[in-house]
Amino acid sequence: MILNGKSISRQIAIEEVLVYKTFSYERSIRKYEDEDTAEMQKQYNRTKELALKELNALEARLKQRGSDHADFVQAHREILCDIVMDKEIVKLISEKKLYPDSAITETYDKYIGVFSKNKNKLIQERAADLRDVLTRLLRCWHGVPEKTLSSLERPCIIVAEELLPTDTLSLDEKNIKGIITEKGGLTSHTAIIARSLDIPALLGVADVLEYVNDKERIILDGINGKVIISPTEEEIEEYQKQILKVEKEREITRQYMQKESVTKEGTKIDLRVNIASADIHHKEQIPYIDGVGLFRSEFLYLTQDEMPSEEYQFQAYKTVLQVFDEKPVVLRTLDIGGDKHVEYMKLPTEENPFLGNRGVRLCLANRDLFRSQIRAALRASAYGILEIMFPMVTSVNEFREAKELVMEVGKELDSENIEWDHDVMIGIMIETPAIALIADLIVDEIDFASVGTNDLTQYLCAADRMNADVKAYYQDYHPAIFRCLASLAETFQKAGKCLSICGELAGDPLAIPVLVGIGIRTLSQSLTSIAHSKQIIRNIDMEQAKELAVEVQQMKSDKDVLKCLKIFAENLSD
Amino acid sequence: MYSKEIIVSNPTGLHARPASSLVSKANSYESDITLQRVGEDDVYTVKSIIMLLALGLGQGEKAILAADGPDEEAAVNELAEFIAGLTE
Repeated sequence: MILNGKSISRQIAIEEVLVYKTFSYERSIRKYEDEDTAEMQKQYNRTKELALKELNALEARLKQRGSDHADFVQAHREILCDIVMDKEIVKLISEKKLYPDSAITETYDKYIGVFSKNKNKLIQERAADLRDVLTRLLRCWHGVPEKTLSSLERPCIIVAEELLPTDTLSLDEKNIKGIITEKGGLTSHTAIIARSLDIPALLGVADVLEYVNDKERIILDGINGKVIISPTEEEIEEYQKQILKVEKEREITRQYMQKESVTKEGTKIDLRVNIASADIHHKEQIPYIDGVGLFRSEFLYLTQDEMPSEEYQFQAYKTVLQVFDEKPVVLRTLDIGGDKHVEYMKLPTEENPFLGNRGVRLCLANRDLFRSQIRAALRASAYGILEIMFPMVTSVNEFREAKELVMEVGKELDSENIEWDHDVMIGIMIETPAIALIADLIVDEIDFASVGTNDLTQYLCAADRMNADVKAYYQDYHPAIFRCLASLAETFQKAGKCLSICGELAGDPLAIPVLVGIGIRTLSQSLTSIAHSKQIIRNIDMEQAKELAVEVQQMKSDKDVLKCLKIFAENLSD
Repeated sequence: MYSKEIIVSNPTGLHARPASSLVSKANSYESDITLQRVGEDDVYTVKSIIMLLALGLGQGEKAILAADGPDEEAAVNELAEFIAGLTE
């Protein structure tokens, strides 16, 4: 059986399926009548042993991988083996005749309640540990195997409805060979993760969960955008040959990594990377890239259980700046809201989160939060070349307000004799049609801008990029996007300011020639696509690219644009 | 029965890591071991992390550490010394 989806890279994977669904249960307290108490106690003990075994195995795997997240396992084990709770559960089973799962739920809930009401924050936080252990126990009681992406037993292809940022905080990078999701498009979180891991992914594969079973072998064909369920031996053999061929091509591409990023007649195109942290494999590649075009600072907030302190942020920013040394690092200030939730911030649920309180709006409404990030950033600016960029700006005033806050914080640091880079560049993301249309009115006040094409496309097309039903309306190649970019490029060129692109379009092999033709000279993308981008750029003839740019802006549909870009790409000779 | 008054001096108090260590140490003794906040009636077993957290002794608080059993003296003396030596 074959299902189709959108592929993010021309790679193939043949592996076992791991169906990823988080365990959920309905809370119910039930009494038993016919069953034997001793049997119920036995069931409880078996459940506990199973949970303990899981924790021990998890700890062993985490330690083997040298992870520093192994501490929580010990805390969970202590809770699981706690003698007081254990006695209470046993008593509820024998005296109140509660089923083991009900007795467990009742006891844990009692202490979760006690801890949550405690005045001390450290104790309140422990309630979350109790909840985790409770879920583990109930899952074991129901006989449902553990699903986690942080430590897997063997290589697999993950099949899920969709992966959320919280699912992907710690991924077992070694064993995840591919991702297939029912929802999401080329700009979804899953796509971003798959690109950074450099693995094939197929997105928007309708109803795939109904057709695949855990542990069965499937073929993910990223070249043709399809998944083959229950493949024949011949098919597997055929694809194994293809994998070798694809690997060879990728090897050729990798050789471009160390070459300079210039077009045929010598125009330099700066290639920067999008990052969430200072990744170790960036270090060796730094000589071949032109800095960081997008440092997504929100990942610091998403990976913590509480608001990261100024000091914690400072250390994180400083590390990145030191790793990139002489190359610029564009820090995007906190961009949450929209599809990114931070539980501990307790933000209200919005009807239209993409049109809601997100990005710089949220920061301007929560000054203390914003101030602590800016303080951390400015302090870090003494250790490298930092540039600060505000997301989701819609008007000149928002930028002025945000910049004023930066200046205030700077004065504060001066009065405390803390060093910071007084020439720090301050710019904006261009993601909203409003700011794109008045770019000429703000260009003199900002130092630079970067276009977030994912959001800009969704706002220009009025199509939610998370909503599968309007997928057809979210058009990466809508002519409006290219017209908008062309006009921005002209404005910034006249003003002599840098305009970069940091959305997925910047690393799209088909789009790169037209972006260069339009006049964009800085592209920021995931590290894994840099080598291929260099390969493309080195084959671009500037005159032809300019003609392409003009042509594309006159096309009437995204399909026409796509056809035209494909023809152009095919004619790029190596 | 043997007991001693202790005072919690480390900044985080008896939760998080210090509490975990205390529980695992307490479990190495045969005696029943308890803590009782000075001026309060409730007695909490030191062999349970849940109870220790529910008690939630913070920095500067005083409590009675008591043990009852064959190794009661050693238990109280050694655990009191452990609590006094906490710095975290």
